[in-house]
Amino acid sequence: MTTLAAITSIESELASVVGEANVRNEQVEINGVVPAVSVSPGSTEEVVAILRLVSERELVVAPAGGFTRQQVGGVPERIDVLLRTERLNQILQYDPGDLTIRVCAGLRLGEMQRQLAEHQQWIPFDPPQAATASMGGLLATASFGPLKQGFGSLRDFCIGIQFVLAEGKTGKGGGNVVKNVAGYDMMKLMIGSYGSLAVITGANFKVFPKPRQTRTFVCPFHSLQEAINFRNQVIQSPLAPMCMELISPAAGEYLSDPPVVNDPDHYAPAQPTAKPLQEWQMVVRVSGSDNILARCRRELGSAVGRELEGAAEEQFWRWVSDFEHSVNQRHRNAMVVYTHVTIQDVTTAAQALEKAAPDYNFVPAMVGRVGTGNLVMGFVPLPVDPPSAMQYANCASEFRGLLPPGSSAMVVQCPKEAKAYFDVWGSTPTDLKLMREIKHALDAKNILNRGRFIV
Amino acid sequence: MNASVVRQLRKIVGHETVLDRPEDLALYEYDAGVDKSRPGAVVFAHNTEQVSKVMRLAHENKIPVVPRGAGTGLSGGAIAAKDAIVLSTARMNRILEVDIPNQRAIVQPGVVNLEMSNAVVKYGYYYAPDPSSQKACTIGGNVAENSGGPHTLALGVTVNHVTGIEAVLPDGRIIELGGKTQDCCGLDLTGFFVGSEGTLGVATKITVRLTKLPEAVTTLLAIYNSIQDAANTVVAITQSGVTPAALEMLDGWLLRAVEAAVHAGYPLDSAAVLLIELEGMKEAVEEQAETVKAVCMAQKAREVRRAKDEAERQLLWLGRKTAFGAIGRISSSYYTQDGVIPRTKVPATLAEIERISQKYNLQIGNVFHAGDGNLHPLILFDGRDPQQREDSRSAAKEIMSFCLSLGGSITGEHGVGREKINLMPYMFSEDDLEIMVRVRNVFNPESLLNPQKVIPETRMCREITGPLPKAKVEPVDGVPV
Ligand SMILES: Cc1cc2nc3c(=O)[nH]c(=O)nc-3n(C[C@H](O)[C@H](O)[C@H](O)COP(=O)(O)OP(=O)(O)OC[C@H]3O[C@@H](n4cnc5c(N)ncnc54)[C@H](O)[C@@H]3O)c2cc1C
Repeated sequence: MTTLAAITSIESELASVVGEANVRNEQVEINGVVPAVSVSPGSTEEVVAILRLVSERELVVAPAGGFTRQQVGGVPERIDVLLRTERLNQILQYDPGDLTIRVCAGLRLGEMQRQLAEHQQWIPFDPPQAATASMGGLLATASFGPLKQGFGSLRDFCIGIQFVLAEGKTGKGGGNVVKNVAGYDMMKLMIGSYGSLAVITGANFKVFPKPRQTRTFVCPFHSLQEAINFRNQVIQSPLAPMCMELISPAAGEYLSDPPVVNDPDHYAPAQPTAKPLQEWQMVVRVSGSDNILARCRRELGSAVGRELEGAAEEQFWRWVSDFEHSVNQRHRNAMVVYTHVTIQDVTTAAQALEKAAPDYNFVPAMVGRVGTGNLVMGFVPLPVDPPSAMQYANCASEFRGLLPPGSSAMVVQCPKEAKAYFDVWGSTPTDLKLMREIKHALDAKNILNRGRFIV
Repeated sequence: MNASVVRQLRKIVGHETVLDRPEDLALYEYDAGVDKSRPGAVVFAHNTEQVSKVMRLAHENKIPVVPRGAGTGLSGGAIAAKDAIVLSTARMNRILEVDIPNQRAIVQPGVVNLEMSNAVVKYGYYYAPDPSSQKACTIGGNVAENSGGPHTLALGVTVNHVTGIEAVLPDGRIIELGGKTQDCCGLDLTGFFVGSEGTLGVATKITVRLTKLPEAVTTLLAIYNSIQDAANTVVAITQSGVTPAALEMLDGWLLRAVEAAVHAGYPLDSAAVLLIELEGMKEAVEEQAETVKAVCMAQKAREVRRAKDEAERQLLWLGRKTAFGAIGRISSSYYTQDGVIPRTKVPATLAEIERISQKYNLQIGNVFHAGDGNLHPLILFDGRDPQQREDSRSAAKEIMSFCLSLGGSITGEHGVGREKINLMPYMFSEDDLEIMVRVRNVFNPESLLNPQKVIPETRMCREITGPLPKAKVEPVDGVPV
């Protein structure tokens, strides 16, 4: 049977699993590839049944949650079935007394936070587009935000995971208790696997009491080096910031609500939405009583330019989280690179951006978690003489070449045309052969997200 | 062990560092758990290349290899399969690099946990995971077991403090996973390796995160007339919004045993104590101490003491950290469990353990990481009395079954190893386990490395798994479940 025939015949079978209403032909695209059919299961059993059907026919499946990070990765070879987790959105168990929660993968982070907030709790996790992103998608993409500084990432909160392999076999790791070493840590394997190993159907998390009061101190500096020196001082101080973010001069413009634009390719702000900054900013967020905040103010001293609190503070951090989204909203052709370096290599990485971007007609803009070395780097194309597809590849290559060994630079966003010229994932210190063998062991037919991830 | 293999092993690591005489091997039959079994040879490697060569030799001859750190494991993880080569990391005990600006150190696997902290304390840093065995256990063993400790409540267990691993696979191939950066591109195989109990590869270099020493630390001792009040306090603290650095409980019987051994200053007439440590900024510690004290008093603590100086604080901790040793003085045979339960269920579980203790007429002491619901009931028995041996096993099963009925885990930090392998099917389905085996086979396809540990072979599962005694999930003595 040809692929086309297989898809046609499968539509009715899928409908018999999930009901007619939950099989659709959606007008969505992933890097230009349009899925042949989209299916929305309502239970793990339905996920199993769907995957059995498609893997028997060797069709290609792309799992999808909130659709916020589908463009990350290589151009899919093809997508026969888009498996949407939107109906798997229940909270299965929430025990505020134990500070644990068990959810289905399609639950949106925003909704989860809302439920937790009713008990003055939260998951200290602020990735981009938190309102719409699904927990499954966030796990699959190992997303993170500025709170990584103080609280770590999903790797630290996810205490259990449930998933279905391409062949339709269910599996799990961990459980619903906060400390557990029984069996292999399947959570770690699935977090950041970009939907290439299994379809995540649910997960368990530790949650935390929400801080009663926080404050943000914005500290401007004339140069990158001064900002980094200040960061080093903060690291050496007794402060334990929740967030410690470096914001480059050009990034300030993107820390605001995106304008409504009709043609994002030709956005050139007539009037900048925010005053363009001349400075590097170190932004430090802390929590605690008045007494503790006073101490922080003293420790940070004269470096503090302004303080943010309340709604303005919340808004500010949402903008920082959404930086890459904001860049992309304004310039569809922008390139965004997640750069992971050691703490001391942040300077080299920022300098690499400042050098490589202009060499290829990009404006450099970055925000980053400089206490942990996780940087979000924007390469914004100039409106005049924008770079060619090839230039994206060359620019990424120059940038990567300037980074110290052991760093990672994943291009999470760039025009799909450019992806033909280079590997968006880039090199990794971790053994690639093992990764590929694990993919083969769990998805021998390469059903899941074929062509997208490193494996 | 085949003489030619022994000769070749000696060629690789040197004559002195291969043991094969029965009297020498007898010392390597045990870990700190209950099982024992004699290896065919014990080999001390000095570096990665030697580990690789030993692994290749064993692989060619189809001889199982069992990595061994300090042998303090409590689940039989380092116990050799029959005639296996025990590969000791005791001579790989160098700290290779300390990189304070990046908050990292790179160590060989045989470095003793506490020595890591001692080496960096002069810079104002330490290595956070602190198993009670930290004076002896190795970082390699900690990585294998994903060990926790009293202070891992707020800061996380071993996996949260390891960013890179160099390991040798069973066929001798040397692999790199991660490095000094917090994250890197691709699958998080570093995280996956931690806690794999020596069944994926032999860790030969480990990159650990170093943590800044807190500005202030204070230790509270909350004293109770009833163990239930202490248990309720654990629930109340969890909900209070304060995450202590450590929250440990000792029951009355156990603290008396500890007092007899080390005079830590625990009140002899109490029914339970909580040891609560707070750390961070001076101001934060003061405020949290007030909050915690109020919570304890509201839960009917008889008294809350605060260590007045570092010496007193160290003494309180000495009591906690030597609890197992103290029991060793009283009873030659005891069985340590490691079940985990949701923290809201601590009161009900302690009541259930008390019931089981009475049912079998066995002393069960409780000393555990209350803050994360990780229980360590110590079941004492007379090893020479077959009835007691049998009863202790039944009691252990009932406790575990109760933990599982509450959605808990069979092990929080000691690992599955050989000891709990038969319990795995109670937590994981045959498919769950089969998937884990598939991934293991990528690293260790013939299961020559640490065979018959962690994951029961699927075929075996059904045969060895009898029903666990059914747990009664009913209120015990009026304590709601
Ligand atoms: C008194 C006492 C108190 C304890 N308290 C705690 C506690 O608070 N928290 C806790 O978590 N544990 C505790 N333990 C258990 C034990 O100390 C830990 O599991 C420890 O990590 C084991 O380290 P080890 O070096 O002794 O390893 P071993 O016992 O020698 O080995 C343990 C496992 O690790 C494997 N292994 C060792 N080295 C390597 C390597 N380089 N590469 C791959 N695999 C390797 C072995 O094969 C084995 O499976 C305690 C034990 C005792 C006796």
